[in-house]
Amino acid sequence: MTIVKHRSVNTIIKHIVLVFLCLVYLLPLYSLLLAAFRPGRDLLRYGITLQTLIPTGMNFANIKGLYTIREGIYFTWFKNSLVLLVVQASLALFFSSFVAYGISVYHFKGKKTVTTLVIFLMLVPIQILILPLYKLMITISLMDTFWGVFLPMIVSPFAIFFFKQYIDGIPRDLIDAGRVDGLNEYAIFFRIVVPIMPPAFSAMAIFMSMQSWNNFLWPLIVLRSGNKFTLPIGLNTLLTPYNSAYDLLLIGALAATLPIIIVFIFFQRYFIAGLTSGGVKG
Amino acid sequence: MKLKQTIGTSKITPYVFIFPFIASFLIFYLYPIISTFIMGFQLVYPGQVEFIGLENYRKLNNPEFKVALLNSFRYTIYTLLLLIPLPLVLSVWLNSGNRTINSIYRSILYVPTLISVVVAGTIMRLLFASSNRGIINTLAIALGAEPRQWLLGGPSQAMILLLILALWRWVGVNIIYFLSGLQAIPDELYEAANIDGASGFQKFWRITIPLVKNTTIFVTTISIFGGLAMFEESYILWSGTASPNNAGLTIVGYLYKKGFQEGEMGMTSAIGIVLLFIVFTLNTTFLKTFGFFESEGRQR
Amino acid sequence: MKRFLLLMVLITCMIGMVFAAGSKEQTAAPKEGTELTFWTFQDLHMDFYKTMAKLWNEQNPDRKIIFKPEVLPFQDMHTKLLVSLQAGTGAPDMVDIEIGKFPNFMKGDIQLASLNDVIDPVRDKFITARLDIYSKDGQNYGLPFHVGASVIFYNVEILKAAGVDPYAIKTWDDFLQMGKIVKAKTGKPMATVEVNGQWSFWPMIAQQGSDFVDADGNVILDNATNVKTLQYLKDLLNSGAAIAAPGGNHHAEEYYGFMNDGGAAAMWMPMWYMNRFTDYMPDLSKKILILPMPRWTADGKRSAGMGGTGTAVTKQAKDIQLAKDFLMFAKGSEEGNLRIWEDLGFDPPRWDVWDNPRMNAPNKFTNYYVNDDIFGMLLGIKDEINSVNVKDRLPAVIDRVSSSVMIQALQQQNKSPAEALKEGADLSR
Repeated sequence: MTIVKHRSVNTIIKHIVLVFLCLVYLLPLYSLLLAAFRPGRDLLRYGITLQTLIPTGMNFANIKGLYTIREGIYFTWFKNSLVLLVVQASLALFFSSFVAYGISVYHFKGKKTVTTLVIFLMLVPIQILILPLYKLMITISLMDTFWGVFLPMIVSPFAIFFFKQYIDGIPRDLIDAGRVDGLNEYAIFFRIVVPIMPPAFSAMAIFMSMQSWNNFLWPLIVLRSGNKFTLPIGLNTLLTPYNSAYDLLLIGALAATLPIIIVFIFFQRYFIAGLTSGGVKG
Repeated sequence: MKLKQTIGTSKITPYVFIFPFIASFLIFYLYPIISTFIMGFQLVYPGQVEFIGLENYRKLNNPEFKVALLNSFRYTIYTLLLLIPLPLVLSVWLNSGNRTINSIYRSILYVPTLISVVVAGTIMRLLFASSNRGIINTLAIALGAEPRQWLLGGPSQAMILLLILALWRWVGVNIIYFLSGLQAIPDELYEAANIDGASGFQKFWRITIPLVKNTTIFVTTISIFGGLAMFEESYILWSGTASPNNAGLTIVGYLYKKGFQEGEMGMTSAIGIVLLFIVFTLNTTFLKTFGFFESEGRQR
Repeated sequence: MKRFLLLMVLITCMIGMVFAAGSKEQTAAPKEGTELTFWTFQDLHMDFYKTMAKLWNEQNPDRKIIFKPEVLPFQDMHTKLLVSLQAGTGAPDMVDIEIGKFPNFMKGDIQLASLNDVIDPVRDKFITARLDIYSKDGQNYGLPFHVGASVIFYNVEILKAAGVDPYAIKTWDDFLQMGKIVKAKTGKPMATVEVNGQWSFWPMIAQQGSDFVDADGNVILDNATNVKTLQYLKDLLNSGAAIAAPGGNHHAEEYYGFMNDGGAAAMWMPMWYMNRFTDYMPDLSKKILILPMPRWTADGKRSAGMGGTGTAVTKQAKDIQLAKDFLMFAKGSEEGNLRIWEDLGFDPPRWDVWDNPRMNAPNKFTNYYVNDDIFGMLLGIKDEINSVNVKDRLPAVIDRVSSSVMIQALQQQNKSPAEALKEGADLSR
């Protein structure tokens, strides 16, 4: 009896802590939601105040600003981000799973080296390569192009590692059965392995989309002209030191954030399942 | 037809599969690293290249770079101290009890991860605005503390802001990692422990901790390199300008400043090489110590 | 399945919305002329050039331009420019480069176009010191906006409440004494000081003939005059007569709000700050008086030419000659210089327009400020405007001063002025 009582007290404490934590975690988002409909002038002077957080007297005129600012350039940014996301995420999924399959199922000379290299590169932050990559982009004339933004990202060591773990878990009998049926090695990959990988794909899809959507430093360096900016880069330009357009920045930030949250809510089941099934069991 | 057959033979097939990786490794990693290495010994300005030996490295021996190194290391260590235990405990909580409620908690804690650093940093700036009416200052006044100019304080204040941002953005991810590790632990182990009358703490210490060791290694590794590579957070918080007293200057920040704001490509290359060296050394020792390589080979 | 459908609908809507907005911009009728792209970090500069582009098109129907300006954050813009110039692609035709950043663009093969051919015909009409700061080896690479004379802005309402007469403040010592009175009587600080910026300190030392770097480019940040001056600022802060500017500098968003609410009685900045008052602190209309800065000694100078933005033409310009001619028209012509005053409130760099009647005509600045004759005040100190040196090490020094020295010596006070300056100087040498 005492044990049960003890437990329920623990459970209550646990829930109190978690609820409090969740509230704290939601506060910035809630602030964004409300501040996006406040006059930029007040935000500029006082920041987010108690008043901002009381949901009354919201001014929806800010939304119009999204259409008017620099002749609707916000939507160009949005489009750019969307295009980059689709191209980058799908190419990265394809190439990474392709490579992972090769590493996972075959025995070949240099396999150990390649595996080690993948793990190793996974831990090399892209930020420290920006300078040489930037020089490279100049050399091959990919500055200020979308190619320059996504090409270095499409073979992702992290995704390779993740997919490799997942494919490692697929019964070899399945692959052998394919060979018996006379399929060639590529057909086995595309017709047998890929169809059973959706959980892994959806987990990585969210992961890659998130990365592409929020990528900041690399596009900041590669992209030069205003009509090629992605959302994070474009939004950041609204913060000019002399005339910060906070109202536009925040409504723009909100409009840039909502889609990815919505996508997450729809896919989260697969996302978590995918991540837990393969990946980082270690 | 003949080509197709050649590619189809099992000797070459593996290499076809790994070709994209090898190509991308050579073009986007190896070549740039070699060219950086060479530029590290040069004075590089537009239309002007000159060999200057170790001069770039000698110039790195300055207090500013030391501050950057120190900040990066401190940030890394603090994030490790916060972002490992906290998510671990939370994920243990979230692994038991009502599933629906747990998944709601989990989602809420994860959502900040989805948000761009630009957006997160901007909200943070506005919450910590220096006017007395800013929400954090209002809170401070209500608690009887002095309102502060949050972004202008000393190094410790800057570090606190950066850590709050890191906590907000990364706890959710680490929870997911730990949860995936926890879910791999067979329930029978806990049941057996229950029969033996183990307390919750004992179970946590004796079963959970050892069995999520690999996950912990993984998360630690990611956090170390994430921490050392930190730049964007401080870039947004101080809106691209130098932070007061370089309180928010990091290694990558110094690299960005020298290379892209001052156009000192040679010196920047030297910084890149130093950073690579640090990462390389840490990588090898770390992975060796925890036997990551072995477990990779042995498994399955 | 239902969820999936809903998601598809949502994505379709999103894409539709994006492309709808995109197609609208494409259908805009094409205009005639050569496209001229321009980057700046200042909205007001953009507006000025827009006006001048319109005027140019009226006067040069055969050489029309389509002016495409872009405003970027200060640091970002200079970074992008540097990177684009190195990459050989992506730079605009014309660009604003702030004085503290200018030496960064003077390294190696200079990627900016020389302006000598368009300047030469009217070179003698310019305050040449203002041209020299944007030049190297006899070649001019930028045109200035202004002389940048430093002045002090007083809030007469607060001074009146404290019973202090701004005209009676002759020296910085007076300023400190009066400051204490203002603080005691009104509870408000006399002045604000930049602790994360160089604009409070630099004019004060330049006034006395000192500087960050000397004429040969040597770093002299830690000389005796500078130490003494920084000590004065520290005393000013510690006496309560001044506070650190909210947000750290006079361009912080919070600062505008603070001043607009009557936060402090005075601040000193170069004259180009005038339009920040009119545009960002509207509530102070009819309350601000502009005066020359207090002197350090009885016969000391009352101002210094500070800061500035040079507009340059990049070698990547599609039509370099056209860009140069337009730039000269906008910033170098008589009309342009008059408009620099009327639209921007800057003291124009061509001295031959200074006695033009339009300089005394009412405009938004004369309506805002208490002064009867702002430009007359400026003419009164025109021989007291010390200039500063713009050399290779300047960006490094400015960087140190604004990011560390001021904070250490004034805000955190963990280093003495002499120590902080010494360290800053050593680091930038």
